[in-house]
Amino acid sequence: MGEVPDYPEIDPRDRGAGRSRPLCYSAAVNLTDLTLIELRDAIARGDTSSTEATQASLASIAAQDGALGAFLQVFEKEALEQAARLDARIKAESAGAVGALTGVPVAIKDNMCLSWGRTTCGSRILENYESPFTGTAVQKLMDAGAVIVGKANMDEFAMGSSTERSAFQPTRNPWDPQRTPGGSSGGSAACVASRLVAASLGSDTGGSIRQPAAHTGLVGIKPTYGRVSRWGLVAFASSFDQIGPFARNVEDAALMMNVICGADELDSTSARVDTPDFLATVNQPLTGLRLGVPTQAKDENNHPAVLEAFGAVVATYQSLGAEIVPIDLPNIGYGIAAYYIIAPAEASTNLARYDGIRYGRRAEIGPGEDLVALYSKSRAEGFGPEVRRRIMLGTYALSSGYYDAYYKTALQARRVIKNDFDRAFGENNVHAVLMPTTPDPAFKLGAKTEDPLAMYLEDFYTVAANLSGLPAMSFPVGMAVEDGVKLPIGAQLVSPAFDEVRMLRIARMHEAATEWHLQKPPS
Amino acid sequence: MAEITNVRLMVGLEIHVELATRTKMFTRSGSPACAEFDDAPANSLLDPVVLGLPGALPVLNKSAIEMAMLVGAALECSIARETKWDRKNYYYPDLPKGYQISQYDMPVCFDGAMEIPDPADPSGEHMRRIGIIRAHLEEDAGKLLHEAPGGGAIDYSIVDYNRAGTPLLEIVTQPDFRTADEVVAFARQLRNVCRFLGVSEGVMQKGHMRFEPNINTIVDTSDGREIRTPIVEIKNLNSFRAVQRAIEYEYAHQPKRWQKDGVEMASGRKTTRGWDDVKGVTVMQREKEEAHDYRYMPDPDLLPLVIDDAWRESVVSRLPELPHARAKRYEHDYGLSAKEASALTDERDLCFYYEACVECVGAQGVQADVAGKQAANVVLQAGAKRANERGVGAWELGISPQQIAGIIKLRLGDEIGSSAADALFEALCESDEEAAAAAQRLNLLQVKDEGQLAAWCQAVIDDPANAKVVEDVRGGKEAAVGRLVGGVMKVSGGKADAKAVKEKLIELLKA
Repeated sequence: MGEVPDYPEIDPRDRGAGRSRPLCYSAAVNLTDLTLIELRDAIARGDTSSTEATQASLASIAAQDGALGAFLQVFEKEALEQAARLDARIKAESAGAVGALTGVPVAIKDNMCLSWGRTTCGSRILENYESPFTGTAVQKLMDAGAVIVGKANMDEFAMGSSTERSAFQPTRNPWDPQRTPGGSSGGSAACVASRLVAASLGSDTGGSIRQPAAHTGLVGIKPTYGRVSRWGLVAFASSFDQIGPFARNVEDAALMMNVICGADELDSTSARVDTPDFLATVNQPLTGLRLGVPTQAKDENNHPAVLEAFGAVVATYQSLGAEIVPIDLPNIGYGIAAYYIIAPAEASTNLARYDGIRYGRRAEIGPGEDLVALYSKSRAEGFGPEVRRRIMLGTYALSSGYYDAYYKTALQARRVIKNDFDRAFGENNVHAVLMPTTPDPAFKLGAKTEDPLAMYLEDFYTVAANLSGLPAMSFPVGMAVEDGVKLPIGAQLVSPAFDEVRMLRIARMHEAATEWHLQKPPS
Repeated sequence: MAEITNVRLMVGLEIHVELATRTKMFTRSGSPACAEFDDAPANSLLDPVVLGLPGALPVLNKSAIEMAMLVGAALECSIARETKWDRKNYYYPDLPKGYQISQYDMPVCFDGAMEIPDPADPSGEHMRRIGIIRAHLEEDAGKLLHEAPGGGAIDYSIVDYNRAGTPLLEIVTQPDFRTADEVVAFARQLRNVCRFLGVSEGVMQKGHMRFEPNINTIVDTSDGREIRTPIVEIKNLNSFRAVQRAIEYEYAHQPKRWQKDGVEMASGRKTTRGWDDVKGVTVMQREKEEAHDYRYMPDPDLLPLVIDDAWRESVVSRLPELPHARAKRYEHDYGLSAKEASALTDERDLCFYYEACVECVGAQGVQADVAGKQAANVVLQAGAKRANERGVGAWELGISPQQIAGIIKLRLGDEIGSSAADALFEALCESDEEAAAAAQRLNLLQVKDEGQLAAWCQAVIDDPANAKVVEDVRGGKEAAVGRLVGGVMKVSGGKADAKAVKEKLIELLKA
């Protein structure tokens, strides 16, 4: 355990993904094996079509998702219609006219509103809820020519770190079906890792993109708070929630960022900043790179393989000429406590609207039962145990007499954690902070469901970026072997606000020098 | 028990003003407080934000905050440099999100005052200054209905969310009122101010303004004690009459309640009552002030709002001249009495109509003070009389400011008499003619022909019925000539110039 196994069979096409090169398509070429950019370029060149790509994706889902459980809904009919429309436009106009995603099939997490199908948030209370509108980020995907093949499974209302809190089904880790893919965006991660789609959208409130990305060997980005519109993202904790991409490599993730970012007048917290071209410079290494490594990164409680992989990442960056700067994030230890007060507090009021009056699940009440009975029954039936726990936690934290002790104190902790990062980027002058994404590789289904606190500690390294609003990403940096099964390990970069361009370049430097992103889960 | 020797009233007022923005406070859906969407069918002013659908987010309507700033400026309030939005959490079917977006500890306006004429002072000179604690913005809820639309019993409730999300300005006064008359005077003036500012139509029946007085009494007893009765809050009053009656009812009944139960004012003893307009009594709604825990927290969907000097100045500079300032100006510039000036300003539409009249008169080269005085006379006499009879505002009689200016011009030029002017006013209410043309057509112009005048006068002098008066005047009692003037006016059908008639009569009688 802990040693880095040798994987000989690397797809020779994969080095330097995204560069245009001829591909020879035969019946043997599986379209779903292509990366996002490869697939896009193949469609653009006319080597294949959006319809073929969508059919291939739907076929893979049909074949594999029964065991995987990544999707809550698959839009076979709508996706093929979308693809046909895009193909017609590509033919009538040009691939460029269709947009940067040119007909590629993608998946979205089921907390994103879409004007067809259901938007369940993984919850019984929204089991049959149909949104009348499509959220901004998803609309941007479609405007860029993406085909939405389906909605990915998630922990109910994004509360969880294993996707086991979905009211409908667990999602399994493509690397080991006994294990969770992480969460809450576990479905979005699993479907990309198992090549059902080339990219997907998840949402990250305390690590819900980065942790599953680490557990499934993907690149996952939580953009700066405000970079991506939250209009149409069903709120869990409004001051933390951000939509971000899952992809198999940094370039693909950069392309997704190009599409989904941007100011939105429908979201007051959307940042009025220009969206740079994240992809244009992603292959330019940073000279004079300074990476801050917090003392807390090498916590001896971390899994040995995580420690070892992290050591290797550091060594790789050093070999690429980076200076490793030891830094201290003295308050990062308060992150979990602060997060698990503020996020539930916000959730307790965000979820008050699910009252059974206007939409969503409404319980039957008997004669003589009143409005309060209608509320409590509907909510008790509709919400799962983790959601109920967090609503109660948040309600308590905001209650008169406890507000100052809990909520206000947590806000202060949030501030000092942000200050820690500001100091690292300021005084220590580092370009980014490098640390593990998770303390452990993917855990087994059921291992932490009875122990909420153990589950919460999954977020130890990730919540800090949400508390401080900073951009962060996880990228694959190693493999653990547990019970003879390979399990991916991720490392995390946290960058100054709106500095995703450099963050992606830094991650790409590592990716270009290593082959972890080319590993494929067993089929 | 000691006897009650004196009872003093103490009232503070909360006023909810629905701001007449075109769209709602946090979304683009039309707002029912705006005349354009006034009679929208139930549940037609909706969108994902109003309904609190999953994934919907609020975006502040700038005009709501600017209207609040205008009201604040009119009430001499400080305008916050930074304010924020808080969630007030409670469950009710008319509240779509399970919380109301409000302002908890940083209201947009605070520390102000408004002066009202003291209703106890008949001269209208003495003013009462009522302190304003704060004015904050919040979104209104929908309406829960327990009757079928158009009436009829149902055994369930229905909700109309049209009103949900309408911007509401909640103004809280100091407990500075000592009589129900003062409260009503304040409420009327505030309504008028809001209408002058253009922030509300102020239609009480439509709930544009709702009042919630907090009332208690200070009771002096024969054994020298001073007792404060528990505070009663009366909810949701939407007519001035109800405000008056509810306060007077409490003023009369609180000392009796205290005599019965001995309960005095203390924290936690505030009760909430409703007003039964039919029975004329207040009715208990909430026995003790329930320890409502609204779990206020800053709304993470909205950024704190910074109001910089430039923005504040640009809004405050749009503040129109307020009614009491206008009244002072009329007194000073036009020589109107306080009573006249206040009659012309306590209703926005009347005031604007009057000013249009003054302008039209002035446009004819009449001096400003004369124009102001003359226009006031016409509007407050001929206008008010008919408006009263017809149950409409003077501005709604159908006579235009240009027509009124025409009447005044004829009067000032001695071309018509006062009774003819009144007849002309009456006629112009039904006609678009110019005043002079109508006077001509209706034969109302004064007759200046010497011969005709002499003939009318002679006829009156020769009338045997006037023999006694004629003798008196000839005998030196010149004052008696008035009777004869009246006779001539009658004979002439009001067209004779009274002054000329008097001169002609004296000339004839002294000859």
